[in-house]
Amino acid sequence: MGDTVRIMLSDNRRPYAATTLRCLLACVMLIGLAGCLATEIQVDEETEFPVPLVPKIPLRMGVHLPPELLDFVHKEDLGDDGVFTIDISDAQSTVFKNLFTGMFDQVTLIENPSHPEVDVAGTIVPRITEMQFSTPFQTRTDYFEVWLKYQFELYNRDGDRLGDWFLTAYGKANTQNYGLNTTPPTLRAAALQACRDAMAFFTISFARESVVQQWLSAELAASRSPVQAGAGSNPARTQGGS
Amino acid sequence: MSSDSLPLRIWLPLILCLPLLGGCVTATVQQVREASTGLADTEAIVVLGRKDRPSSDETEMNFVRCVGDRMGKGGQRMNVISEVAFRDAVFPWFEPRTAPANTSDLPEIIATPVVASRLRELGLRYLVWIDGSTVRTDSAGSMTCSVTATGGGCFGFLTWENDSSYEATVWDVQSGQAVGRVSSDAIGTSYIPAVVVPVPLIARVQNSACASLSNQLKTFLLNG
Repeated sequence: MGDTVRIMLSDNRRPYAATTLRCLLACVMLIGLAGCLATEIQVDEETEFPVPLVPKIPLRMGVHLPPELLDFVHKEDLGDDGVFTIDISDAQSTVFKNLFTGMFDQVTLIENPSHPEVDVAGTIVPRITEMQFSTPFQTRTDYFEVWLKYQFELYNRDGDRLGDWFLTAYGKANTQNYGLNTTPPTLRAAALQACRDAMAFFTISFARESVVQQWLSAELAASRSPVQAGAGSNPARTQGGS
Repeated sequence: MSSDSLPLRIWLPLILCLPLLGGCVTATVQQVREASTGLADTEAIVVLGRKDRPSSDETEMNFVRCVGDRMGKGGQRMNVISEVAFRDAVFPWFEPRTAPANTSDLPEIIATPVVASRLRELGLRYLVWIDGSTVRTDSAGSMTCSVTATGGGCFGFLTWENDSSYEATVWDVQSGQAVGRVSSDAIGTSYIPAVVVPVPLIARVQNSACASLSNQLKTFLLNG
């Protein structure tokens, strides 16, 4: 069998075979270098995130997405492992639009939470305060892991800041599931999973947060009694719109 | 047999077909039934991989997909909802953070009216949780390859053993009970002898485990 192969390579198709082999090796090396030196992943606005399937809170909620959330990019130099850039900025508007659409009767984007342009029961301002990730090389496993720390601020209907709370979301993805050049797709999947985990965690923990509890019970009580609700709100803000 | 006398058109198909021979795989399937089962034409199942935390291992996505695909095809095929579609449809109730760990957690989720309504829309009857993975248990041998401007080749012998061990736990969504477990274990040895050209004789251990598990699950669900 060995002789046969040598004959094939020394036949007049040899230049083609050798060129193909060199091209393949060059491609493999390029992919390897790309993986080693710089990894850029993006979870963009095209990424689909589900809408939570939960009983809706019967309130009109405001959400303010600050520029630091919408421009959030994490860049980290891991020395010999290269520079990693994780860009989840474009996904954030979809994440929060879907999250709040599932959780509240109505959702309105607010420009300034201290002076809401429309009448909303409250405004939530999410921010990413920290992002960390680990590679399989660091953890000696097959997994990329991503941690996202969010801060949520709550403003009442009058634009007063009531407080804030933090939420840490986690995502991991197995390199075994992503073929040959595993780094970008696996890291992206881990980042995507962390975003989903943030949505899930927020959905189940929102009403349990101490900052939220008092405000929520007051707003729900007020929404059942329209006169009371109107008394506390600024007439200039009761124009509607969403 | 002189290699000069055999043209490429004969050798190439032979070399390409060798991997199809594959290594040997031994598969074992076991089942434990805890309640009777049955599936109407309008009812569906979903096959989910366990992603609970803390956990260092997850079932491979392609294995979960393989079991789901095989249960939706061939004889005794059934309606299978894809894992991704199901997790999105009932988000956030089957995410790693929130997924029920035991059947005792299931009634609380199902009791939520919006979830119950969605499950009725999907026609979901059984949840099949897959737990396990395929690991390399042994390997030996060595191979050296070299490439020069005039050509290249490999010489050596590699062998390794893979062990697949999976367990499927079946929950009845209607009754909120576990109705049984089906486990599949497969073990196989792969070889790559190389004299210039490496000839992989791959034991498709995971595929064998998938085939035996999905066939047994079909029998378990339909003939219970």
